[in-house]
Amino acid sequence: MRNGLSGIINSYTQVFFSKNIVFAIILFIVTFFDLYAGLAGLLAVIFTNLAATIIGLNTEKVREGVYGFNSLLVGLGIGIYYQPGVEFYIVLFFISLLTLFFSVGLEGVLGKYGLPFLSIPFLFGIWMVIIASTGYSALDISERGIYNLNDMYAIGGFAMVNLYDWFNNLQVPESLRIYFKSLSAILFQYHMFAGLLIAIGLLFYSRIAFLLSLIGFYAAYYFYQFIGADISELSYSYIGFNYILTAIAAGGFFIVPSRYSILSVVILTPLVAITLSSTAYLFSFVHLSVFSLPFNIVVILFLYVIKFRERNIERLAPVTFQQYSPEKHAYSQKNYMLRFGNLPWIAMKLPFWGEWKVTQAHNGEYTHKGDWKHAWDFEIADEEGKVYDGTGTTLKDYYCYNKPVASPADGIIETVEDGIDDNLIGDMNLEKNWGNSVVIEHAEKLYSQISHLKKDSITVAVGQPVKQGEVIGYCGNSGRSPIPHIHFQFQEAPSIGSKTVDYPVSSYFIQKDNKHTFKTSDKPVLDEKVSNIQNNELVQNAYHFVPGETIRFETNEQGKEDQHEWEVKSDIYNNTFFECRQSSAKVWFKDLGDVFYFTHYEGRKNTLLYYFYLSSFKVVKAFYPDLVVHDKYPLTSYPNRKALILQDFCIPFFKFLKTSYQLNFTKASDQSSKEIILHTKARFGKADNGVNSIDFIINITEEGISRIDIKKDKTKITAIRIK
Amino acid sequence: MKKQRYERPLIKKLEDNMPNKFGMRKEYLPMTHIDDVSVKELIDQYGSPLFVISERKIRDNIRKAKTAFETRYPKVQFAWSYKTNYLNAVCNTFHQEGSWAEVVSEFEYDKAIHNGINGSKIIYNGPDKTEESIVKAINNSSLIHIDHLDEFYTIRDVAIRLNKIARVAIRVNMDTGIYPMWDRFGFNYENGQAWTALNKIMHSDVMNLVGLHTHIGTFMLSPNAYAVAAGKLADLAIGIRDRYKHEIEYIDMGGGFASMNKLRGSYLPGTDINPTINDFAEAITGALISSNFGPGKLPLLILETGRALIDDAAHLLGTVISNKRLSDGRRSTIIDIGVNLLFTSFWYEHNITPAQPFTQYSEDTVVYGPLCMNIDVLRENISLPLLNRGEHVVIQNVGAYNMTQWMQFITLRPRIVMIDMEGNPHVVRERESLERLLEFERMPDHLKDFKL
Repeated sequence: MRNGLSGIINSYTQVFFSKNIVFAIILFIVTFFDLYAGLAGLLAVIFTNLAATIIGLNTEKVREGVYGFNSLLVGLGIGIYYQPGVEFYIVLFFISLLTLFFSVGLEGVLGKYGLPFLSIPFLFGIWMVIIASTGYSALDISERGIYNLNDMYAIGGFAMVNLYDWFNNLQVPESLRIYFKSLSAILFQYHMFAGLLIAIGLLFYSRIAFLLSLIGFYAAYYFYQFIGADISELSYSYIGFNYILTAIAAGGFFIVPSRYSILSVVILTPLVAITLSSTAYLFSFVHLSVFSLPFNIVVILFLYVIKFRERNIERLAPVTFQQYSPEKHAYSQKNYMLRFGNLPWIAMKLPFWGEWKVTQAHNGEYTHKGDWKHAWDFEIADEEGKVYDGTGTTLKDYYCYNKPVASPADGIIETVEDGIDDNLIGDMNLEKNWGNSVVIEHAEKLYSQISHLKKDSITVAVGQPVKQGEVIGYCGNSGRSPIPHIHFQFQEAPSIGSKTVDYPVSSYFIQKDNKHTFKTSDKPVLDEKVSNIQNNELVQNAYHFVPGETIRFETNEQGKEDQHEWEVKSDIYNNTFFECRQSSAKVWFKDLGDVFYFTHYEGRKNTLLYYFYLSSFKVVKAFYPDLVVHDKYPLTSYPNRKALILQDFCIPFFKFLKTSYQLNFTKASDQSSKEIILHTKARFGKADNGVNSIDFIINITEEGISRIDIKKDKTKITAIRIK
Repeated sequence: MKKQRYERPLIKKLEDNMPNKFGMRKEYLPMTHIDDVSVKELIDQYGSPLFVISERKIRDNIRKAKTAFETRYPKVQFAWSYKTNYLNAVCNTFHQEGSWAEVVSEFEYDKAIHNGINGSKIIYNGPDKTEESIVKAINNSSLIHIDHLDEFYTIRDVAIRLNKIARVAIRVNMDTGIYPMWDRFGFNYENGQAWTALNKIMHSDVMNLVGLHTHIGTFMLSPNAYAVAAGKLADLAIGIRDRYKHEIEYIDMGGGFASMNKLRGSYLPGTDINPTINDFAEAITGALISSNFGPGKLPLLILETGRALIDDAAHLLGTVISNKRLSDGRRSTIIDIGVNLLFTSFWYEHNITPAQPFTQYSEDTVVYGPLCMNIDVLRENISLPLLNRGEHVVIQNVGAYNMTQWMQFITLRPRIVMIDMEGNPHVVRERESLERLLEFERMPDHLKDFKL
């Protein structure tokens, strides 16, 4: 029931690329400005969603209104055209079904190219029913559109009629009048009042979308004036909205809002205008309106074209995780890309223990070129940077010689080559240039190769499964290796010396002047001294959450006591999240072994879960007193909603609100207990002045997180874990 | 023209064997500087004799040792063996480099606490742990390595009384194929004592078995013995895991790595035959990695290396008091360093190097200390250049045990100087004075006066 209802509601907002409930209610009301059209729309949605459910299509998509919104438009369209009656509703049912078929069919065709089907199913549906119905004598053309004051009276009596009348006679500039009418035309309404309500809804749903609708519309308006086209074309039929929808889709929904996305909206407008005029002319021969055809053509082509880019990719970033809000895209996409952009799906560690030095990195000066450019050479160096002790004339002098080499991740041994003699210092074996090597398969098309191992030191055999950190052999000097070192690369095939893959190391430390810097998903560069992270069991245990687990906290906020219960869940896409029983807030997390991340929070910003999200935004599961973890929250988690409104408008151009996350570790002062304390500083504010700060102290014991202290302005909240 | 150095006349038997291609000269250099600080200036400023410690060498040693182990094993922790040298400056240098503390008495325990070490990072070893110190150790969550069953009962009773859980390990002794076998400390592996103790601990509610410890000997010349020991401890740990579903946190391999000193009776110098820290590291980590722990389950490896990290970081500077010919015609030289300062001369043949240039001529010499005791012999027989009264000598590799086992006997104990990373000497222990010594003494009234 609940799903059915949200399926209906979302079908309304999907028209405007939204899932906002308030906006949905406004749109719902607006459709009922024409009572029978509204009813036809609603019935079309219900028919479609029911049919989709009975057929057995993906319930999540039905719930999101993916299939419903095209039928809604068809329903509204034919509801306006025809008189209601039994025959009408029967035709409505079948045209809804046909529209659903179009939706699924187009989803299949366009989905393969990663493109949306937008409102093409609606176009097919409404064109077909219009053409077909010319022969259906039982359907009568409606005349209601002519007397829409009657409908207004039916909805709200005289008051409504007066309001409607007053507003329609209001002295507003011509362009604005057309803008509102164009907006209302999306729902087959054709008056300013409906347009105004939709505009308010749009503004409430998204400041960026509202801004984009204006930009799109006025770009078209001035283009028409400039080119000397007939502006009345915009105001006459149901087509002015093509510019508005194009602007929202290309400017903020499918593309992350930025000044480039706005520029592209301005550039796309003439394309829409040309498509519109030409198709409208052609369609007039078959007495059809083009409806949203120009919008569909231009947006789909545009999205397709930008997929083929090889350069300048960062300027227009396609939205990868659809959040149904241009604001969220603008605020979180960049942050997400920054945090997880090159987060690998398999966490690779460095294939050794202790600290090694990169002596040749990617695109190295000696051999890491061409097909083998994504590779590293590692050696061990001392304080002075020397890689050997003594004279450096024998293998044993070299620090790295005969040191264990471990598997970078879990996998299966794919290829082993052993038995090649270790060279004397300075010699190179160019015939067997890879020397003794091991190739491990970690996933399809992801292999790691480690070479120049010591002769007869390889401890694994082909077909053997290995765990991350398991020794596979010892560093040697075989192959093209004048001095002992290991060559390490990720490659796409199992044979030794295959083409390399540009793939990062999941997490590691860089040491410089005895100071550690922590890196995630990065690639070591030349001369860096790198080492793997040593996990701390307490922190690891505390930040290990298993779906099905329940976590309970008791809070005390200045005497006010409360209880909170979170459940750890996972969805069908293997995303893991916490859900708060009391507030239904959700927070998604990723656990990458070495690092625990919160990725995304949804819900009210005063729950304990929200504070937990802020406090443990990124936790390295280690204990290093000198280590400070830095990160930036997305603006979506900004605590003050009002401060965001202005930022919403400017986000395509600049960001004036700043966020930062900082975490460091200390041991508890009471040594008798086995305890680690995490200190988190969350900072929000405009540049440097007016900083909002929240400080957290998290106590970790053998039982996990035992207590969280939150200090926000003058408020102090203490949360204690309960069993 | 600079005045030539006087060298006493020398009559030497002509050695008529085959000269090698370098002739028959003694080719070694005087040690005029320590870390670029002049030996002569050090003695002028701080007196003779004088212990000189090189901070640079200490840090270099521990870093090299850490690299040796950390590049071979994922989790390694060093603990500074206090008894080897518990001078606070030395201890803190190691603590700055990340070492924990390993102590074997209440005095050392208190010293570690005084140095600011967190109690949970103190390893408490040794056969004589007083009850008061056990109370401290349990309260501070220190790692208590049980040496015998009587100690087990004491710890158990104290923990029950305090209502706290003691973090304990047992020390295990075992046959690693070396002689003599150290079986006086801890519980024996082969005869099952170790399991008896482990079973008692596992059945006790007030003890948490966190580790296993062994220390197979001292000045070990065979890395393989460590491999055997590590293998046996790993077997014990896996046995505990299988029997009690309990995973221990660490394996402590103790110390005993040889330094580069030459043992008495050894024919070749230490640098030629003594294994390096890399050899020990390879043996220990190799055995642990190939045991059945499985990757990701390897316990923390603790090392209590003392001697190998400090021996070559300290030098003892002295001055020639006199030269003498003995009744049998041998030459002897008396210097101001006695066996009371150089305790290790009982088991090492310490290298003695002049601190000023010398010619190629040398003579077999007996080196005596300044004590009026017959046993005060530093070297029975050493080939030394011809030294004059007032000239200086440097004795190398004296960092381990001398500054803890030295005694105030006949003479007062000298200063200790540490040269920092920038080459600046700092006094880290003052010279003893009569007043300071008298502070300990108490005079009964009837003995206060006398008439001669």
